[in-house]
Amino acid sequence: MLALRILGTLALLIVLSMLIFLLLYLAPGDLVKNLLGIRNTSPEMIAQVRAQYGLDLPLHEQYLAWLGGVVSGDFGTSIRNQTPVGALLLDRLGVTLLLSGLAFALAVVVAVPLGAASAFRQGGALDRGISGFSILGLSAPSFAVGLLLLYVFAVALRWFPIYGVGDGLADTLWHLMLPAATIAIGLGAILVKLTRTATLRELTSDYVTFARARGLTRAQVVRLVLRNAAIPVVTGAGLVLTFMVGSTVLVETVFALPGVGMLLQESVLFKDVPVVQALTLAIAAVIAVIALAVDLLYLLLDPRVRHRELAS
Amino acid sequence: MIQLRRFTRGHRLLAAGAALAASALLLSACTATPPSAPAGTGVDTGAQIDEVTVALPGSVSSLYVGQEAGIINYYVASVSQEGLVKIAADGSIQPALAESWTQTDATTFVYQLREDATFQDGTPVTVDDVIFSIEKAQDAEVSPNFSWLLAGIESAEQTAERELTITLASPSVSFQWATSTSGALYVTSRAFWEENEGKVGTSDGLILGSGPYKVTEYVPDSFVSFERVDTWWGGVPTVKSVRIEFIPDDNTRLLAMQSGEVDMAFNVPAAQAAQWEDLDNAAVRYTPDLSYVGLQFDTAIAPFGDEHVRKAIAHSIDRDAVVDKLLRGKAEVATALITPESIASVYDGAAAREALAAVPQYDFDLDAAAAELAKSEFPDGFEAEITYPASGPQLGQAAQSLAQNLAKIGVTLTVTEVPLEEWYTTLADGVHGLGFMWYFSTTGDPGELSSWILGEGNASHYENPEIAALLAQAAVETDQAKRAELLIETNTLQAADAIDLPLWWGQSATAFSNDLGMNDYGPFAFFSPWPAALYRAG
Repeated sequence: MLALRILGTLALLIVLSMLIFLLLYLAPGDLVKNLLGIRNTSPEMIAQVRAQYGLDLPLHEQYLAWLGGVVSGDFGTSIRNQTPVGALLLDRLGVTLLLSGLAFALAVVVAVPLGAASAFRQGGALDRGISGFSILGLSAPSFAVGLLLLYVFAVALRWFPIYGVGDGLADTLWHLMLPAATIAIGLGAILVKLTRTATLRELTSDYVTFARARGLTRAQVVRLVLRNAAIPVVTGAGLVLTFMVGSTVLVETVFALPGVGMLLQESVLFKDVPVVQALTLAIAAVIAVIALAVDLLYLLLDPRVRHRELAS
Repeated sequence: MIQLRRFTRGHRLLAAGAALAASALLLSACTATPPSAPAGTGVDTGAQIDEVTVALPGSVSSLYVGQEAGIINYYVASVSQEGLVKIAADGSIQPALAESWTQTDATTFVYQLREDATFQDGTPVTVDDVIFSIEKAQDAEVSPNFSWLLAGIESAEQTAERELTITLASPSVSFQWATSTSGALYVTSRAFWEENEGKVGTSDGLILGSGPYKVTEYVPDSFVSFERVDTWWGGVPTVKSVRIEFIPDDNTRLLAMQSGEVDMAFNVPAAQAAQWEDLDNAAVRYTPDLSYVGLQFDTAIAPFGDEHVRKAIAHSIDRDAVVDKLLRGKAEVATALITPESIASVYDGAAAREALAAVPQYDFDLDAAAAELAKSEFPDGFEAEITYPASGPQLGQAAQSLAQNLAKIGVTLTVTEVPLEEWYTTLADGVHGLGFMWYFSTTGDPGELSSWILGEGNASHYENPEIAALLAQAAVETDQAKRAELLIETNTLQAADAIDLPLWWGQSATAFSNDLGMNDYGPFAFFSPWPAALYRAG
């Protein structure tokens, strides 16, 4: 089962790599002009640079050359940075993973209890307040939220730094707090909605009415409801996590963080093929891993799924 | 028939410039008087400065400037590396690693290296290191972005212990600028390069130079930090360490300046300049930046091969309005391809502008534009597209203004914004016959732009034997005043044919915190070790 899934993911990654390669080839822009600039360039120079990066080969040969490298573990060298792509990615991934992790943790820790509380007090002032805020959080663009947070917490209150990543773990976490909060606001708003809806559905189920009729304590009922509401919430959380890739590009730019979002944006514009290929594949792989993790979590959360999987 | 007029706006522009905060500097740069502290900046207290944090609007992808020679790369590399010569505030060529040099004949330059030139690791700068650096700069694979600048060198040889003789394949006066850090020579050590082969300029390898600051750390898209050394021939500067932060978002940069997290910010965006000027803790200083913005036609593409079409467009541009209203006066109406600062060493400020204003101009006159169009093969108008780079929103505004005017005479001009990288590909692409020319000269060689965009094989497909002859003469004319005259003549000739339509000469804006001063702030300031010119203002 798992092996089949991994094979499927690999096939998907290969198709994706072809697609990205083709799209980058078709996209406007010219690597040679990016490298040589627009000033006096002789045909010899252009030919030399084209040969250096294999641009004189037919497209399928360029792709196969790249694929051949990847199969042997060589992701190539960034044309723009002149550093091996693997090392470049490792340098950049840390910041983005930490940022995403922090944002996700913040969102979950705040949004899930709020969503549940909102459902338990459906129609009350708290519910309306939380819903109002989550609509605001959902509709505010992340770069605007980032600037607002910067203005309030970094410039006016001076609690946090304005830009950069800092040195050492504690300092880095401190630097990443505002950017993470920026992403968490949008992410959290979705999670609040998801949790509220899922919890409400459970609350109106027959088993809850029955449990209450049997005289179970409130705490016992709440535990039952939350456990059952967890499955759609986990699925939803896994999905929104994959959406986060897009918001990191904007947030990394606003807060001047050297993460993969910024790298991806620059590399696409420069047509730095090896970096774009490796990055998109890495992101796709992360998404595949998240999807797998979500499925595995089902096993933990839902005994029915666990039994079925074990039986098969 | 041709409605040209002679412009004499030099004085008016300077008078307008006096209203700018940077007026003292603008004038000093033009007139070559010793620069003084501008209004609002205190005098040098002589105090040491522990750290200066500088915000740049984008990151460099390599510390080795040949790999990616954008304007930001020049700013960063100039902190730690030097060339044989440098360009002084008045545009003149001054000693750097070479203490003196002579041109022995039309193609031979002899440089004497200074005895006390030392790399930041303590090893002496040898003639061999300079030759090595030239070879690297000439190599299109290692230095794709400026190999063409040194392509004219036939040989570079050591002719005495501290003497370097460079022979050119053909005479070129422009070459003297090429060996500066404004041109294409950033000297590094051969031993360093060979030890770090393959990672020079990366965060692992960094870069080694002979300037007053050595690179200590570099994180692409984040920052690069420098520490001062005591090995520089020019002495020990006041600022102990420099940290350049790459902050791409305009608003974040503004907030960082406002909160005092950065002391200095390059390239203050024109659209936000008013907000920067309102800051209590900082001042924005303007200086001409040797940039030229103009329209350029490709005569091989219809309808722009028709001289009347080009002139109709020329008459439809309201340059005064663009500069005064859209650019808030933070630029100067251009009358030629040559910038006044690039001929500052032969003309003083006002005279340079007068000489350039003698180039024939096209008035903003829609009646004249309509008349020209009526005479063309396209009397009923036509449709065209002009692209501009997203990083130059002011170009877009100018294009919109032009499009509005053209609509009145029946020409539909579509204005399209594209990323800078895409914009490159729309230049001379055989599709767009009308485009922008946006060029930053780093060297101050007055012939740099003209010889390229009017010279042989130009993108306009414009052939004018007279211009070709003048450019050939200018290439070998060693008398700077005569050379400037020849170059101005080429601009005059092309103006009659309306191939390139000058719009404005740009200014760059730099924000300094109130306690930070800078000597010699001007068009060339950031192409030599600029942190050494900073001081604590009191």
